[in-house]
Amino acid sequence: MSAITTKSISAASLALAMGAALSLAAAPATAQDRMADKEKCFGVALKGKNDCKAGAGTTCAGTSKVDYQGNAWSLVPKGSCEKTASPSSPTGHGQLAEFKEKKA
Amino acid sequence: MSTRHDFARALLDPELPCPAGLVAWNGSNPARRFQVYRNNVLVALVDALASNFVVTHELVGEAFFRAMAAVHVRAHPPRSPVLACYGADFPAFIASFIPAAGLPYLADVARLEYLRAVACHAADVSPVGEGALAAQLADEGGLPGLRFALHPSLAVLPSRFAVVSLWAAHQGVGDLAAVVPDVAETALVLRTGLEVEVIEIPPASGVFIAALQSGRPLGRAAEEATALGAGFDLAATLGLLLQKSAITTLHPSRSTP
Repeated sequence: MSAITTKSISAASLALAMGAALSLAAAPATAQDRMADKEKCFGVALKGKNDCKAGAGTTCAGTSKVDYQGNAWSLVPKGSCEKTASPSSPTGHGQLAEFKEKKA
Repeated sequence: MSTRHDFARALLDPELPCPAGLVAWNGSNPARRFQVYRNNVLVALVDALASNFVVTHELVGEAFFRAMAAVHVRAHPPRSPVLACYGADFPAFIASFIPAAGLPYLADVARLEYLRAVACHAADVSPVGEGALAAQLADEGGLPGLRFALHPSLAVLPSRFAVVSLWAAHQGVGDLAAVVPDVAETALVLRTGLEVEVIEIPPASGVFIAALQSGRPLGRAAEEATALGAGFDLAATLGLLLQKSAITTLHPSRSTP
């Protein structure tokens, strides 16, 4: 399938490695044991990742960020654009064109 | 139908006017209210990316991240109302994003973070019993053709950059200043129990695990990894997979690879 030249590995050496792997794995407590004293609690751990975002996005506090819609773009990448070797290359991305317009 | 289309398009493009036909419940200016809504949509989606890509965010700072994320949100709005795994296209977007070119490792760090998000939400599957493995071991001739199903949370990320060290330094493990970004690292991401783990593995182990994951039999996968010539340790790699409960099913096969 690939261009790599492969050396055949004998079944015996696979068996040896697998035997060793089994003894390696036998030592520590498995994840299953650690799960025993925990319970699943959905919807708590991942704040802001669901659609019930009662914070910044849904209050009028969000309107203070209205700048991001249009001109944040010229605000931000200035510093990093200066570090970029070839800022003149148009890649056909709409966003880059927008960025240049804003910056000019 | 076309009203809905206009509405959706105008939500993502601040240059477009307020869609026609909107009426505010209290008689206030619908164009003004639409702007607020449009802004909330964007802010919420950028926030969703920020919480899925925490380290990426830290690496470039808030202003840059939010501006970059806003461009991405407009180009790739979510296709599912579930935002927990929003951002599948974000790493590739970062890779092609010229202003971020000064940080060539940024896209791979984002890839790692996305794999973590996916691993977090992957299905639970019990590992294969050790009895089944021992039984398989007794059938030595069947080992080269043996195929494995791996845990759905598992992913391998080979990178030209020190993705694991960079990521770990942002979790308080190791010193960020001491990380040399240009050192290649391979990450193994998986969930054990409720915990998503990021483990640095040798590149050959990564090749082996990825081969197993794509359905190649044990013998073939081991050969591909050995062919890298970088001292592939089959026992240690299999041991790691077993230790992390990452092998979920064995599919014996008599056919030789």
